[in-house]
Amino acid sequence: MGIRLILVSFLFAFILVGALKPLSAQQEIRGVVVDETTGEFLPGVNILVDGTIRGTSTNTEGEFVLMTESTDSLLIVSYIGYVTQRIKITDETIYFIQLEQDTGILDELVVIGYGLVRKRDVTGAIGRIGSEDIAKTTSLSADQSLQGKVAGVQITATSGAPGARSAVRIRGVGTFGNSSPIYVVDGVILDDISFLNSSDIASLEVLKDASATAIYGSRGANGVILVQTKKGSSLDDEPRIQVSLESGLQQLEKKIDLLDGREFAIITNEIRSGSYNNVDAVPNTDWQDLIFDIAQIHNHQISFSGGSTNSDYYMSLGYFLNEGIIERSNYERISLKLNNTYRIRQNFKIGNNWTIAPYNQRNAPNVTFQAYRAQPVLEPKYDDGSFGVVYNVGNPLADLAHSNSYNNGVRLVGNVYAELYASQEWFVKTSFGLDASKNKSKNFTPAYTVLNPDGTASQQNNDYSDLYKSEFSSYTWIWENTVNYIKEISDLHTISLLGGITMQQTRSEIIGLVGQNLIRDQKDFWYILPPYVVDEANNINMVNSIYNGVDPNLYYNMISFLGRLVYSYDNTYMTTITLRRDGSSKFAKDNQWGVFPSVAIGWNLDQEDFIQQTELISTLKLRASWGVIGNEKIAYFDRFSRVNSGLQAIFGSPDVSYIASTYGRLGNENLKWESTIQTDVGLEAQFFENRLSAVVDFYERRTEDILVELSTPGHLGNGQGQKIRYNAASVTNKGIEFTLNWSDATNDLGYSINFLGNTIKNKVLAIGGSSGIDSTLIGGGLANGQRVTLSRIGLPIGAYYGYRTDGIFQNENELNSYPHLSQAGVGDLRFVDINNDGVINGHDRSFIGSPIPDFVYGFSVSLDYRGFDLSLSIQGQIGNEIFNGKNVVRPDLYNFEKHVWNRWTGEGTSNSEPRPSFGGYNFLPSDRFIHDGSYLRLRDLIIGYTLPEKILQKINLDLFRVYIKANNFITITKYTGYTPEIGSYDVLSNGIDQGIYPIPRIFSFGVNTSF
Amino acid sequence: MQWGCSDFLSVNPQSELTQESFPLSSSDALQATNAIYSSLRDWHYHSGGFPILDIMSDDALKGSNPNDASNTVGPYDDFTHSPTQDGLDRWWNVLYQGIRRANVVIEKVPVIPMNESQKARYIGEAQFLRALYYFDLVRAFGGVPIVIDTNPDFKLPRAEKSAVYDLIIDDLSSAIASLPHKKEYASNDLGRANKDAAKALLAKVYIFNNRFAEAESLLLNIIESGDFGLELDYYDANGPNGEHGIESLFEIGAISSDNGLGNQYANTQGVRGTPNRGWGFNQPSVNLREAFEPGDVRKQATIIELGDVIDGITILGDAITPDIERDSEGNIIAIESYNRKVWIPGLSTDTQYGHNRRLIRYADVLLLAAETLNENNKPDQALVYLNKVRNRARNGNLEVLPDITVTEQQELREVIWRERRVELALEGHRLWDLIRTKNAEKVLGKLGFKVGVHDLLPIPRSEIDLSKGTLTQNPNW
Repeated sequence: MGIRLILVSFLFAFILVGALKPLSAQQEIRGVVVDETTGEFLPGVNILVDGTIRGTSTNTEGEFVLMTESTDSLLIVSYIGYVTQRIKITDETIYFIQLEQDTGILDELVVIGYGLVRKRDVTGAIGRIGSEDIAKTTSLSADQSLQGKVAGVQITATSGAPGARSAVRIRGVGTFGNSSPIYVVDGVILDDISFLNSSDIASLEVLKDASATAIYGSRGANGVILVQTKKGSSLDDEPRIQVSLESGLQQLEKKIDLLDGREFAIITNEIRSGSYNNVDAVPNTDWQDLIFDIAQIHNHQISFSGGSTNSDYYMSLGYFLNEGIIERSNYERISLKLNNTYRIRQNFKIGNNWTIAPYNQRNAPNVTFQAYRAQPVLEPKYDDGSFGVVYNVGNPLADLAHSNSYNNGVRLVGNVYAELYASQEWFVKTSFGLDASKNKSKNFTPAYTVLNPDGTASQQNNDYSDLYKSEFSSYTWIWENTVNYIKEISDLHTISLLGGITMQQTRSEIIGLVGQNLIRDQKDFWYILPPYVVDEANNINMVNSIYNGVDPNLYYNMISFLGRLVYSYDNTYMTTITLRRDGSSKFAKDNQWGVFPSVAIGWNLDQEDFIQQTELISTLKLRASWGVIGNEKIAYFDRFSRVNSGLQAIFGSPDVSYIASTYGRLGNENLKWESTIQTDVGLEAQFFENRLSAVVDFYERRTEDILVELSTPGHLGNGQGQKIRYNAASVTNKGIEFTLNWSDATNDLGYSINFLGNTIKNKVLAIGGSSGIDSTLIGGGLANGQRVTLSRIGLPIGAYYGYRTDGIFQNENELNSYPHLSQAGVGDLRFVDINNDGVINGHDRSFIGSPIPDFVYGFSVSLDYRGFDLSLSIQGQIGNEIFNGKNVVRPDLYNFEKHVWNRWTGEGTSNSEPRPSFGGYNFLPSDRFIHDGSYLRLRDLIIGYTLPEKILQKINLDLFRVYIKANNFITITKYTGYTPEIGSYDVLSNGIDQGIYPIPRIFSFGVNTSF
Repeated sequence: MQWGCSDFLSVNPQSELTQESFPLSSSDALQATNAIYSSLRDWHYHSGGFPILDIMSDDALKGSNPNDASNTVGPYDDFTHSPTQDGLDRWWNVLYQGIRRANVVIEKVPVIPMNESQKARYIGEAQFLRALYYFDLVRAFGGVPIVIDTNPDFKLPRAEKSAVYDLIIDDLSSAIASLPHKKEYASNDLGRANKDAAKALLAKVYIFNNRFAEAESLLLNIIESGDFGLELDYYDANGPNGEHGIESLFEIGAISSDNGLGNQYANTQGVRGTPNRGWGFNQPSVNLREAFEPGDVRKQATIIELGDVIDGITILGDAITPDIERDSEGNIIAIESYNRKVWIPGLSTDTQYGHNRRLIRYADVLLLAAETLNENNKPDQALVYLNKVRNRARNGNLEVLPDITVTEQQELREVIWRERRVELALEGHRLWDLIRTKNAEKVLGKLGFKVGVHDLLPIPRSEIDLSKGTLTQNPNW
């Protein structure tokens, strides 16, 4: 451990405390604030003692009262629309303050990494949504509400199962490994925010370009999402209680069109005649109807907030319950939030932000895939009520009935911090954050057998009951120390400097236990060492095993040094320069440190005379940035050549297992930082007195030295499928991003229209290269081991590959005159001989589609009229393809998708749908399974009504609003699966539909009150 | 580094050794030796997972149902496989993994301070296993890169076939010198490499190089030791009752379990459907059925037929697999049936994993001895060993399988080859034997075999690509 570093940090903290000023003699001052020209009293004017955060505001008569210390020198008096005044504190106790109306625009503050900056000084590309937008989406994780709301952000659900998270991609896919952004919750760096109650979030800021993200150095390459949680306000005159309740119902959006019993029997007879003697007498089971149900969703919370001169608080309790539309799946979360700040000295503030979120989750087995495959001619249950056999697939209802898979745990995230306002220029902060989580999972399957109609055992059985238990715990501490210096030199120069040191440690541990053959199936016996079942020969059939280790992605240390300069000249020309130096334990000593710089410039054109003269434009800013950002999201041990100790050899009579260890795969001592070079040029403008605002950005991200696992020659002896990690690939993402917003309000009507989108052009520039390592990356493994993505130079990451089809062999002649695989016959697909060598083989597989959309967009409208509000959000993407993987894997006879009905039955009958077959040739991965993944979704539709003030006053409420809401109401797509939204954390398996849990449609009703 | 961070930034693997610190002790040495055996139960070790060697021969068809693996395993059945064929890379990779594990012991154990005789045995075991893995490589792919240390170059060219054989012969000669006899092992160490297994393997290596003179003494030595014999019941030669028994020179121990202690080799070939014992690959061919002489007990000990009742379990088979397939002229070309030699009593799939695959059994030694003696012009002696094998196969019924008396060299040669086929059917010998005896084109030509092409498998295309041209492909692939 870096003792010296810790000492330095302590020293830092001591200086901070040592600089505290003692509480001194107090004096009460009073005053009144008026408009300089009209002489009107101004209510709600902020009065702040300079260099402190003590202050007050004027009452409706424009009066204020404030306690000052003898050391106080200046009052800062600010009011929206007026020029801020600095008033010297003298011995006077009564002040008459006149404020001058400001003809310029307001100084809005924007949250950036490790601080705030005036909006006009921002040189980076930052997108933001506030709590009102977050509330529109009913979801576990607040980041899902970014979908279609911030340009450049693509959110794709990986599954509709309760508790499932989405894959978040900012400006395309920048690496082959973990491509998810980081989240910074009140300063603590995290991988996800699904533990946070959306209602506790004040805003989400998406940092996109290098100017904004480079301050996060090695973590920033995939973007940064800053999460501000709600705080109490000392300016509130009285504490506030807010209650919101929302309940809804979820349903399957649409079913997949499959053959019914009769159609299935007819097709099967065509493949193997005589399978069904009377196709009109076969059962017709709709398995989808049997597994999907209507399910509830609830999201309730109560929060308290308030403050006084020296402290403020925000406290909330939330409850989220998401039942799955498949039985035996659900997710339940309680979230407790506590944010406090205390001013314990006039220039010294301490605070904390805590979230504690216990959760319970139940997981259903993947019965959607089973229901998709199950033959419709089979009965779900026999007459005696026992489960019927479903050949080759297993009866999904039996799997469901015997599934008992639970997770529960708790996540605790928070920090304590201290802020010292050492002088007007110097501001020092230290923050110690913690992210601790614990998860327990248990999975019990009783012994059971689904019988064949003749009473024999089918393949769907579990000979002995099994119990799997595991416990996962992890913690991260992160200590961040920063110094800020802000100085205005004359009216022209504003300098803001930031310097900091941060340290982080992440640790994790997993313990897994397996037990078998428990004496009873009830929950009371789900422990590893209960009594066991014994057979007549006194044999105990049990296998117990233990696993213990760490999560290799969560076991590392980091140290960082960071610095930033923001300089602005005359509010017109700005520059931001950042530098971060990161050290990570994941790399060997020589490559441990990485330096990540960025430079940005901005020009507020609206300050120039030639713009100011036009009334049309209210603000206009041009900005450009360049920077290098890093990524190190790899397993902590990839650099080591490790020993594999998990082997066994079997010797002896009777057979006995012996432990065995030997060299595992080679590590790579030379691993170093992956780096992303990002360039961005942006234009921000507001027109028509700020009614129309527009932001356009051009970006290019080039990621080099990508940390990627590549195949190496077999003779090294690493074993089948074992790869070695290298810094050996490069990728670019290019695109244009835009956001257009029109908002206006009259007396009764307020409305806002938002349209945004971005293009993505993703291309692999290099993979491998030097001898002996692979230059392609194959991924996208299907259930039968076939791999359907191939990433190589010139193609997008995770591009699909397979045969191209070119119609159907209509007759014997045609078959014989084209090259074909030996299994092909008349009525089968014709594969294109891509390399023109007269033979169809593996080399004729080529690029057939990309999972990465060309264009991602969002469109939303919100309006309010006399207490009624309406909000509508549409979101979608264009130009990506989906690989219908679930339709490809057919080793046995399964049900068919409906299109099979249009099969080839003789010359000229079809040139796209081949003759039916159980599987085999026509199901080789080809463009037949590639579907257009474009879609347009009416994601949120909300209609609300807020009671008017008059009534509210009578019933003593500040707010009372009721609303109805529909999420995922309508989806327009050509894709035939449950959803066109098919995400994956694995960028090489993106957009492959392997039979995912559908994303439901939700109708809900809610109430918000505040008092 | 500055700020004294370098300690803080040094995080070691948890609960895992690194290769710099292993093996250091005698316990490490034992574990490293055990690990070489572990590769034998790797599914890929068995010709890339599927019994493609038998499927390529005239003994078996692909099996399973007609669709299953038709594009991956199917092409081996009619010699339409290609350098990218499924399984080739897996087999190549696991054989070299086994070699690497042997190299760890051969390179690192000599410097460990420990009991010298134990040390010699471990190294001998490693040499035996390294030879076993290279023998598969050289037969399947021809001359391959030779790796004899733990830190090979990424780019290694193919060695000459003869150089690979020289290494195998060296390793086995050393192993013979240092390994104990099977009977010297404690009962819980049975299954480790032993002196006679090394001799048998070396003899076989010589025979594959037509060096019959050198093979003869090795084989006779084993026979004359009296340590080995034939199981009385042919079923036990491969079945659970004969595990580590008198007939077994070298076998792969396996426990009835699908959680890492068993061997999926048997599951891959287990009865498909009812009872559900496995995937049903390696379906015995019609041609193999016809190869058995009337009354040969080995036929039902090799082939499971639908309707058989074995250990009280009725074999119903798979609903999709056709019971009988006929060609357009009505001739039977396939019959749903399964490999009896991997059968383990039971109803579940996991029990099937307990089959101990016999790699070298005494009947093989006797037949190799018969073949060698015939080649060395000692037909009378050859007949003794050949008839020993036939005697057991007649199971006491003197009416069938008469003793062989022919002594004309070519005639006897063919009789011995035929006997090898039926005695060792579906045990992975047939294809090698056909290629070795130059009978492959004659026997397999109608299935698609072409001499000069199919004598070797193609080098996996992925390996050639990775080598950036350092590895060359076999001729005509």
